[in-house]
Amino acid sequence: MSVFWKKRTIKILSYVVVIAACLFFLFPIYWTLVTSLKTRLDAFSSIPVWFFKPTFKNYQIIFFEKNFAYYLKNSVIVVAFSTVIGLLLGVTSAYYFARLKVYGRENILFWILSLRMIPPIVAVLPIYLIMRNIGLLDSRISLIIMYVFMNLPLIVWIMKSFFDEIPNEIEESAMVDGCSRFTAFIKVILPLSKPGIMATSMISVIFSWNEFLYANILSGSFSKTAPVGLTEYATPVGIMWGQISAASIVTILPVVILALFLQKYLVRGLTLGAVKG
Amino acid sequence: MNTDNNIRIKLQKIPENFPWPLWPTLIFLFVICIYPLIFLIRLAFMRWNLISISGRYFVGLDNFIRIFNDHDFWNSLWVTLIFVLFSVGIQLFLGMFLALILNQDLKGENIFRGLLLLPMLLTPVVTGLMWRFMLHPDYGIWNYLISLLGIKKIEWLSSTLLALPAIIIVDVWQWTPFTFLILLAGLQSLPREPYEQAQIDGASSWQTFWFMTVPLIKRYILVALLLRLIDALRQYDLIYMMTRGGPINTTETLSWHIYQVGFKFFEFGHASALAWIFLIIAIFISKNFIKMLQTESYIN
Repeated sequence: MSVFWKKRTIKILSYVVVIAACLFFLFPIYWTLVTSLKTRLDAFSSIPVWFFKPTFKNYQIIFFEKNFAYYLKNSVIVVAFSTVIGLLLGVTSAYYFARLKVYGRENILFWILSLRMIPPIVAVLPIYLIMRNIGLLDSRISLIIMYVFMNLPLIVWIMKSFFDEIPNEIEESAMVDGCSRFTAFIKVILPLSKPGIMATSMISVIFSWNEFLYANILSGSFSKTAPVGLTEYATPVGIMWGQISAASIVTILPVVILALFLQKYLVRGLTLGAVKG
Repeated sequence: MNTDNNIRIKLQKIPENFPWPLWPTLIFLFVICIYPLIFLIRLAFMRWNLISISGRYFVGLDNFIRIFNDHDFWNSLWVTLIFVLFSVGIQLFLGMFLALILNQDLKGENIFRGLLLLPMLLTPVVTGLMWRFMLHPDYGIWNYLISLLGIKKIEWLSSTLLALPAIIIVDVWQWTPFTFLILLAGLQSLPREPYEQAQIDGASSWQTFWFMTVPLIKRYILVALLLRLIDALRQYDLIYMMTRGGPINTTETLSWHIYQVGFKFFEFGHASALAWIFLIIAIFISKNFIKMLQTESYIN
């Protein structure tokens, strides 16, 4: 076969593979969306119904008859607080790791990063007992604490690589002009590292929003987050597929929208930060 | 080695730029991490059923001996091994394959990459639910599709043979985009000249792949492997939503086993001993990978 046709076929096959991959990776999401908009008759037929009249009944039920909105509110509160606190602690620590000759720096850094390797079930056993003893079970605070702990290693890891890329001279020239290191940090370095902070906060938000294990074990009816609240629709009698699909779509929607708009930050954070670290 | 001597000498003078801002972070992490772990190791040597009146009492190594003789424990290790090996292995290959394909200058590359990103952003419990519905024996779409090929309906999640493969497939579905992203970034960071030179020298694409591409993006492969291994080890959400460790214990990974012992049977002593074993395994794996990563950066 001539080179031209060989290249042509590879190109065509590549497009076919990519489109097939997109179909494979997107179909389940589409199917859940569609199921949430179907009547029970359409959703449970053994022959899949492709064209149907959509109904918002499922969404109505989860928002007005059950209190899914409350679980969403819990999720928002927990994620917002834990991200902000995580960034405050993580960005400042990462800066100090990147800039100053902290003694035992490599060891402390290594210890912080190794915290990410702890399986959650290992951490939750003692934490559950401790929270129970101090009365913080079923509280949003316990979740906020756990999520800060969960995300801090990643925040420090990624932000340190971003700070490493900014040359020392920039702060030094600012400090020569009379700034303290602190002012130099706030006025000069932070604006420069906006992409890094965007990326880290996105990753932190996504992981906290989607977290299930800690939330399931440590929360109760007061502090339940959305992923845990979803499981309410899996009753002992049977799973209310229409409602659980609607709840699922509502749960994944914020993250999907966030990621589609800020895609490049997400990719950059995952790859640059993860790899250079 | 050397660092200990350095720390000892330098601690004698307090440096001017002592990292005061670091203390909140370090204290927080210390309290959340070290104290619970110490608590956990004390518990590992005790028998304590949370809902029984006998409270907790010291039993020494008894928990560990029990675990060693416990068939459920060895089963959970085996299930975890199969799950991690297959799911991470397939993700790596699929991710590499997709990354290679998308590394060519295709039109709409950004759109495709954005779309392919979606599965890993989803809440894992939602993913479990989505697939549980699709794999439903009666109204699931998968059974409908295979019935078109003449195969009879399969009870995926209640089959002792197929439940674990089903979970592996779902994990692959959710996380291949992750390996794909990292490997694509790796491929895109490669310089063009060596490839043009290799083409002039007449190397086949297979040779250029194995002997040029793979070594050059070794760092990316290692990072993807490390992160996926650690996360696959701790998989919990999918099992919770899809099989609860069943049927029988064919999908009971170590993570799920610990959860059952601790929060279903409330045997916290036994669970703590198990948790320590799990922790040691996780640390062992990650230490080795991080060492590999560090040697990589020294070579570079």
